Formats: sequence, structure tokens, C-alpha cells
Amino acid sequence: MFQRTHILWALLAVGALALPFAVPIPYYLHLAIIVGIYAIVLLGMDLLVGYTGQVSLGHAAFFGIGAYAGGLLMTKLGVPFGVALLAAAVVAAVFGALLAAAALRVSGPYLAMVTLAFGTIVQILINEMDWLTMGPIGLAVDKPRLFGEKLGTTQYYYVVLGFVALVLVCTNRWATSHFGRAFEALRDSPIATECMGISVARYKAIAFALSAALAGLAGSLYAVSEEYISPNTYTFELSLLFLLGVIFGGRKSRAGSLLGATVIVMLPTLLDSTVLFRWLAACATAGALYFCVRSVRSDGLVALRSVLPPLLITAGLLVFSFQVQNLNEHRLSIFGLLILLAVFYLPDGLMGMFRTVGGRPMAAPALASTAAPVGATPKVLSILDITMRFGGLTALNAVSLEVQPGSIHGLIGPNGSGKSTMMNVLTGVYTPNAGSVTLAGRQIQGGRPHGIASQGIARTFQNVQLFWEMTALQNVKVGLHHDFGTNLLALALGARASRVRESQADAQAMALLALVGLADEAGTDARDLPYGKQRLLEIARALALKPSILLLDEPAAGLTGPDVAALVQVLRKVKDFGVAMVLIEHHMDMVMALCDVVTVLDFGQKISEGNAQQVRDDPRVVSAYLGTAAA
Amino acid sequence: MQIVLQLCISGVSLGMIYAVIAFGYQLTYVTSKTLNFGQGEALALGALVGLSLSSWIGYWAMLPMVLLFGLAQGALVERLGVRPALKTRSEFGWIMATIAIGIIGKNMAETIWGKDDLKFPSPLPETPIIFGDGLRVMPMEILVLVGALAMMLLIELLSRRTLVGKAVVATADDREAASLMGINTGSMITLSYGLSSAVAALAGVLVAPLTLTGASMGVSLALKAFAVAIIGGLNSGMGVIVGGLLLGIAEQFTAFYLSTGYKDVPGLLMLLAVLAIRPTGLFGKTVIKKV
Repeated sequence: MFQRTHILWALLAVGALALPFAVPIPYYLHLAIIVGIYAIVLLGMDLLVGYTGQVSLGHAAFFGIGAYAGGLLMTKLGVPFGVALLAAAVVAAVFGALLAAAALRVSGPYLAMVTLAFGTIVQILINEMDWLTMGPIGLAVDKPRLFGEKLGTTQYYYVVLGFVALVLVCTNRWATSHFGRAFEALRDSPIATECMGISVARYKAIAFALSAALAGLAGSLYAVSEEYISPNTYTFELSLLFLLGVIFGGRKSRAGSLLGATVIVMLPTLLDSTVLFRWLAACATAGALYFCVRSVRSDGLVALRSVLPPLLITAGLLVFSFQVQNLNEHRLSIFGLLILLAVFYLPDGLMGMFRTVGGRPMAAPALASTAAPVGATPKVLSILDITMRFGGLTALNAVSLEVQPGSIHGLIGPNGSGKSTMMNVLTGVYTPNAGSVTLAGRQIQGGRPHGIASQGIARTFQNVQLFWEMTALQNVKVGLHHDFGTNLLALALGARASRVRESQADAQAMALLALVGLADEAGTDARDLPYGKQRLLEIARALALKPSILLLDEPAAGLTGPDVAALVQVLRKVKDFGVAMVLIEHHMDMVMALCDVVTVLDFGQKISEGNAQQVRDDPRVVSAYLGTAAA
Repeated sequence: MQIVLQLCISGVSLGMIYAVIAFGYQLTYVTSKTLNFGQGEALALGALVGLSLSSWIGYWAMLPMVLLFGLAQGALVERLGVRPALKTRSEFGWIMATIAIGIIGKNMAETIWGKDDLKFPSPLPETPIIFGDGLRVMPMEILVLVGALAMMLLIELLSRRTLVGKAVVATADDREAASLMGINTGSMITLSYGLSSAVAALAGVLVAPLTLTGASMGVSLALKAFAVAIIGGLNSGMGVIVGGLLLGIAEQFTAFYLSTGYKDVPGLLMLLAVLAIRPTGLFGKTVIKKV
């Protein structure tokens, strides 16, 4: 598998290099240039859309900003081509980071609208600021000169090809590094990402800035290729086209971006040729029919419900292509249908389809004999008079407790007594109204979750918060994020140190998985693990932070008897490494067996504290759980 | 002073249009946490259908037909685009799907009614009424104001007084609990989409005589209405009216004192500012996320 993909990439590279000799027609070379330029945009957008899962409807604006920045620098200031390209990328990145800063607290539909608004503003400004941009008239840009000779289409093709190769290598290295993992993690669970010591805001901004920079670079390449920039190129429709390219080609895939770029460039060309379009529609219909028949054969007529719509859509396109004369008039409808098809039936794009047909490569590193990298510096966690109110409800009322290094501290109480609120206060998810939390003498309350996490407090969640689309191994490696010092540039240059670091992280993560008994599941996606194993994976991931204190929020909830026993064994092992734990749990036998000290909360107040025996005999605890006997 | 007042008056009617479209966003957002990114196209389709119908059966008889058309269009969007996407739990599936249905609608409108903007005949006299010392108000502007307010009031009343309305409110409050009480929450979401598009379609009919009618007339209206929904808060009825008026007036001033080209900028800047500072909107309630 490994070999085969390498051969395919090599073939692609040879084909791309030989293209000007095989097809020496400027029209086709020009199309190939545009494919390359769009591919750069899509590779960048994939980091944002595919990995962090943020929808951008405004990337045409970054493309435009890059085009104008590069074009103006070259024409008005005579800046050399290479420098102008770099500057264009930087300018676009700055805009990207600014937009991300404005939109940090929003995601999903809000973000989509914000980017749409941004795109609209940029288009208006380009049109209106005619003292700078020449407004609707547009701006003429010359191709750069080499030894006094203007670059021809073929030479420029090689320039673009060089950039595509460069961007391909860079984005691939970024996406497979700890940056890529942080991006993916924040898509699946921002809150868990924060609690792994990763600043969600920072990484969202990085993803935005990177994708904007690449769109800017592509924009200025485009300006030079067309030798003309006009404001009505950078419209909402173009943004939509980019998004279609990412989704249609396949998210989280470099090959998908190349494929997507080819599709979106060729599509309008295709629509010019009705005959070709009919053939393609016929092929797509045949494909859909094949899948339809296959599903009905294996699953019976029930399957028809899910496989019929794509067949209807493709067949509809086929009929449609015979009905109309000028397909370009109906370009938008065809885009729309393709988007629907891609969203509902090709969620992983064309690449996803090839992958399911061809089988998916799966490589789990062998279990190395590394010792589990748990041991952390022991720290005392003291909580003093913490009060937390939600409106009129006081969830915690002046609660104090102290967690000794290396001990297991139980936190119990009836439902609604404030246990989970305490967890959230300790990890910075909530800021308490009063009181202080100190870790080894340093006050931490009011800090951001990622800051607190990196000081040595790790947690699990009452409702499991894993990074679902990532393998168990990758989930743990997100926890190891703090160990990676390499920056984007070092990664792009392929520093040996970062590769070495990556394989060390594999070994460490495997050791942690082995510790919780999940070594065999390293290559399984988190969402495919059974529930009990998901809970164990959360513990392994939290341990990757090398915490001094591990907070466990009902780790045994919903587990079966044998699973609980396995969990107790794991927690005993963790304790032997010197990690202190705060354990919220309703399984009293587990609490009694494990905890050195138990604190009981009721209605936000501490009602009892002591060792298991003392707490069990405390009449206040009994009455909190069972009520008082009628007098 | 005179000019300031005049600008405010034009701003108010425009602002009410934004408010009523934003109200449509709220309807679907509260029931399903999704909204129709093709709202602008729903508006344009409503106006165009209204234009064709009004030459057949007259302006006033056309209004209920457009209402029905809007209901059907919205229900279709929900069935084709939103429901399957909600099932697959994909974060941006419904965004892309509603956009896609929107552009298909726009393309179809262009094929049927052409790409050029059309003139929508005004049902009321087109001579301004003069108030006081030369304050000019178009009768159509008053109709817009009254119509928009009436629509919002009617839907509020229906949701408070009728059983179906209460079922929609229950779905908005807690979908799972509503479903356990025997409410078909899926139908309630479809209904909210239908109402949302119907409101947009009628807004299109109302605004069309003041602007031009065409397949792309709704794009910037819908975007600015979204800004209004965010500024006011996606769960506050009062918020959209205040937000709509704010934006409508701000735009008139920008257009008059700066340039018509910059007319769309203040709304979008307000949107960005509100999202950066107070994402729940000026009137929205903050919801504490439980972990």
C-alpha cells in the first residue's frame, strides 16, 4: 500500500513535468496552470475546512487580496515577482488572522456567515477604493521577466508547478504533524482540546492564517497568469467553487485537493462541450446504477431508500443534458446538484470513494518497550473557599479541600451536589465567583483551560469527549502535544529532529495505550471503540499530559462489572506512578476501595471529609443520600 | 434636521424588512439550530412569483398565494437539505445543502424570469404623502412597516394561542422532551422552515415595489438580515426589530453622507463587531454550556 501510493505520486509528477511536451497547446497549458493555482487554494482550505471543520464562504476574498497585493506591488512599486508573491501571502495571512480573531468565539453557521460578510466587504472595498485598485476597470499586470525575456505560458507553467509541489509537501508535513492533530482535535471537541493544553483560539487562528496565506499566494499567481485583475472575479460564487472543490475532492487529503481543483476547473470547460458532458453524466449514472444494484442485491429493497437519490440525481443530469442546448446557462444548478451529491453521498469526496474501493492503509507502530512516560512532579492542589454561582443558583458554596500528592481523593455526593462544577472550576472551564485554587503554591483560578492543563492538571469527562475521527493512537498523541517544540517552518523544511520526535511520540503513546490495555486498538478510530474502551482511552490521553493531578469525572459510569474491575486495576497502576487523582464516582465500592480521602458534597456544600470508613459512618452523609428517618 | 428625519423614515421601512427576514431566521434556528442559507433566494422567488401572479389575479389576491408558495418552498428545503444533513450529524452538511438549493432556485428563477431586473407595480399610489414641512413618506413605505409588523405579530400570536404553535415552542425549548410528549418534532421543524420561507417570500413582495425585482435581489438583503438576527440575538423577538431599525437607519446615513457603494458596509461591520464582542447579540441570553 505504502509502495503503491508512492509510485502513483511519482507517475503524477512525471506526467506533470512532461505535460508541456505532450500537449504543447497554450489553451490546455493555461487550464493546467489554473488547476495548479486552484490546487494551492484548496490545499490551504483543506487545513481549515477538512481538519478544523470550519466552513469558510469567504476564501475568494483572500484570493482577491493576494491578487491585488501582489499585482499592486509589482506594477506600482516594481517589486520583483518572488518578493511580491511572498508579500501577497503575508498580507492575506494577516487578514486571515484578523478575521479569525474577530470570529474566535463563533463556529459553524455563525462562522460561515462571518466569512461570507467578510468576502462581501472585501469585494465592495475592491470596487470602491478605486484610488488604489482602479475599481471596476481592473488592473493590468505583466508576467515577470527572466534575463530580459517575458515568461511564456510554458515557463510560467513550470513556475506554478514548482509552487504546487512546494505547497503540497508543506501542507502534507503540517497536516501529519502535531499541528494537524491539534486542528482535527479542535474540530471534534474544542473543550477536550483545551483541556489537553492546546489553545483552541490559537490553533484556529493558525489554520485560518495558513489557509489565507496559501489563497493569497495563489491569488497573486493567478493575477500574473491572467495578466489582469478585475473585482468581479472574487465573488461568492468563487468561494463556493473552492468549497465544492474541497468537499468533492475529499477532505483531509492532498490528492483530494488536486482532484477537486481539477474538477472545479474542468467543470465550466466541460459545460461548454455538451457532448462531453453527456458522456460524463452517462458514466456517473452507470456508476450510481452499479452501486444501486449491488446494494439491493446485498441488503434487499430497504437499501433502495439510500441509494436511489444519487441514481435519480445523476440520471436527472443525463436527461437534463439532452434537454438543453446551452449548459453554461444552467451552471449554477449543476453546481448545486453536485454540492448536494457530495454532501450527502460522498461525505469523504472522490478520494473517500477510491479509498473504500481500494482498501484503506492502516499502520500502527509496533509496541516498543518504552516505559510508560507517566511520572510527573508531585504537586499539592489546594482549593480554598470556592464559590460558583449560576444566576441565582449557588452550585458551590465556599468549598475547600486539599489534594495530597500521590493520593486518590474521592469526591462524592448526590446528583446536583456540585461535583462536576468543581471539575470545571479546577480545569478553568468555569471561572469561580470567589475563592482560590492553588497548584504547588501558584494560583490558577481564572486561567484559560489550556494554561491550567499545561501546568499539570489533566481530566476526563462525564460525557466522553474523544476526537472521534482520529485513531486511538492519535488521540493519545494529541495529549503529547506539549512535547513538540517544532514550528511550522521547521516542519516544512522536514527537519530530522521533528521526524525523530514523531516516532518517539508514537512509542510513548503506545506505552500509554498498553498501560490502559488498549495496545491492540491503536489503529482503531475512537468512534468505533466500545464504550468502556472509550473511557479508558480518555484516561490514556489525559495521562499523556504527564499530569501531577488527574481529575476523573465518573470514569465508571455505564461500565459493566468486568470493565469496572479493569478500570480499578488501571487506576491503581496510575497511582503507583505518583499521579494524584480526584475521583468523582457513584460506584461506592470503587470509591471505598481506592480513595485515601473522601469529600462529600451536598447542595454545593462540603458536608463531610475523611477516610472511606469515617465518611461512610457520618450521619450527615447517610441523610444526604437516604434522607433522615422520620422522628 | 429635516434631512436627518427623512433618512430615518426611509431607514425604518428598510429596517423592518431586515427585521422580518431575521425573524424568519429565528423561527428555524430555535427549533432546529439550523437556518436557511438560501433565505435570499426564497425572498426573490416569492417576489417573482408574486409579480407573475399579481398580473393575473391582482395584488391583494396574490398575497395568500405567495404565502402558500413560501410555505411549500420552505418545507421542500427542509426535507431535501436539512433533514438528511441533521441525520448524518455533519456540522456543515446543512449549510452547504441549503446554499446548494438556494443557487438551484436562483438559477431556475433566472431561466424563467430572465436575468434582468423587473419593475414590480406598486399597489398604492406612487406619490409621496407630505407631512409637516415637507417630510415625504411613500405610501408603500407605510405598507412595508405595517405588513412586516403584522406578520411578526400574527406568528407570535399563533405560537402562543394555538396548539400547533405551542408544539413548535415546545420543540424549540427542548426537542427531546417535546418528542417524548408525543409531538412530531420533525414536522414542527418542517413547519418552522415553511413559515420562515413564507415570511421571506412576503417580505420579498413587500419590498419589491421599492427596489427592483430579480433573481439576485435577495442576496444582500438576506446577508444583512442575518447581521440583524445576530445583532439582536437569535433568540430575541424584540432584538430583531431594534437591530433591523438600527441597521436600516445606519445604512441610509452611510448612503447619503458617504457613498451608495458603501451602503452594505455598516451592517457587515456591525455583524463582525457584535460577534467579536457579544456573540449572543445585544438582547440574546447567554447559555452556559455543560460539560
